[in-house]
Amino acid sequence: MGIDSVETGDAGLVRRVLAGDARAYAALVARYRNRLGRYAFHMLGNAEDAEEALQDAFVRGYRSLHRCNGPERFGAWLYGILVNCCRTTGARAARRGRVFLHDDAVVSAAALPGPAERAEWEDLVRWALARLAPECREAFLLKHLEDLEYGEMARLTGAGISALKMRVKRAREQLQVLLKEAERV
Amino acid sequence: MFEDRPDIVERVVSYLKRPVRIDAALDRRVMEEIASVAPPRARGLLTAWLTGRRIAVSPLGALAAAAGLAAIVVVAYRGALSERAGAGATGEGVARQYSFVVRAPQATRVSLVGDFNDWDAARTPMRRVGAESAVWTTAVPLAPGRYRYAFLADGSRWLADPAAPLARDEEFGPPSSVVTVGGS
Repeated sequence: MGIDSVETGDAGLVRRVLAGDARAYAALVARYRNRLGRYAFHMLGNAEDAEEALQDAFVRGYRSLHRCNGPERFGAWLYGILVNCCRTTGARAARRGRVFLHDDAVVSAAALPGPAERAEWEDLVRWALARLAPECREAFLLKHLEDLEYGEMARLTGAGISALKMRVKRAREQLQVLLKEAERV
Repeated sequence: MFEDRPDIVERVVSYLKRPVRIDAALDRRVMEEIASVAPPRARGLLTAWLTGRRIAVSPLGALAAAAGLAAIVVVAYRGALSERAGAGATGEGVARQYSFVVRAPQATRVSLVGDFNDWDAARTPMRRVGAESAVWTTAVPLAPGRYRYAFLADGSRWLADPAAPLARDEEFGPPSSVVTVGGS
């Protein structure tokens, strides 16, 4: 994932950045760009917002790198920043009307995509994901895309484990409903 | 009630896990933006790590200790902050001596870390109020200003001060509290 040509471990690169070698941060960015980008892309639903959140996360990560107390866990630490950046970007995008509304009524009454729109499974999945409440989509992606334990998810999101389990359950249920309905049309 | 169709969810997950390629131009944009940002400096706890006195606290690494942390946080009552007459000056304005108190019955050592000591756990160790006491205290001189701080128990467990506002950092990091010292 990312660039394989950089052989230096995360901790070594973090040390170099903290010692004043800003170029070492480029290696970290390249290493984590696609890995973190996958979450951002699926969380926000489009490449433009994903790149905005990703850039914000990398810059914030740089500014606060001295607070990364486990440099060998730089990736996990940066992941936490990204989750917050995706929330911010998602809220901003929602205000711009780029994403769909997310309440239950909207989910159940959402118009299904037309045949052309759902020609591809990918489109269908993006359509369904976009109709989940942001907190449910976030929990679903952290659990099933990133394979995180609930404890880790709680740490990243600030939500309780019970709430997270409920969100994942709701996300799974809603995805099933949405995709089943779409398959019927 | 809908029929449970886990296979659909599994198909979704399978699709989501495919690699996503983000435009490599992002790297250039990030590096251009951070060129105007003050470089981060190794300091405080990280300095301890760099010099081999590693303090094993990281956002996810701390998860393993979450149960223990919660136990201490729950029993931690009032981290009282009281002003005492003091002298000296640091930074802008006249510094006064402030006492920090926290209850951490399971800890064998506690340090006060914050903006005022570069988050260096070695600089401000706390002492027990009594030999068997669970209450720890220390005092530091603070000039007027806003400071973030936390207590570090046994070198690895962060305790925010339950009696003070939590720091609302935009960065992801361990919990910390905020104290604002007014001028007089």
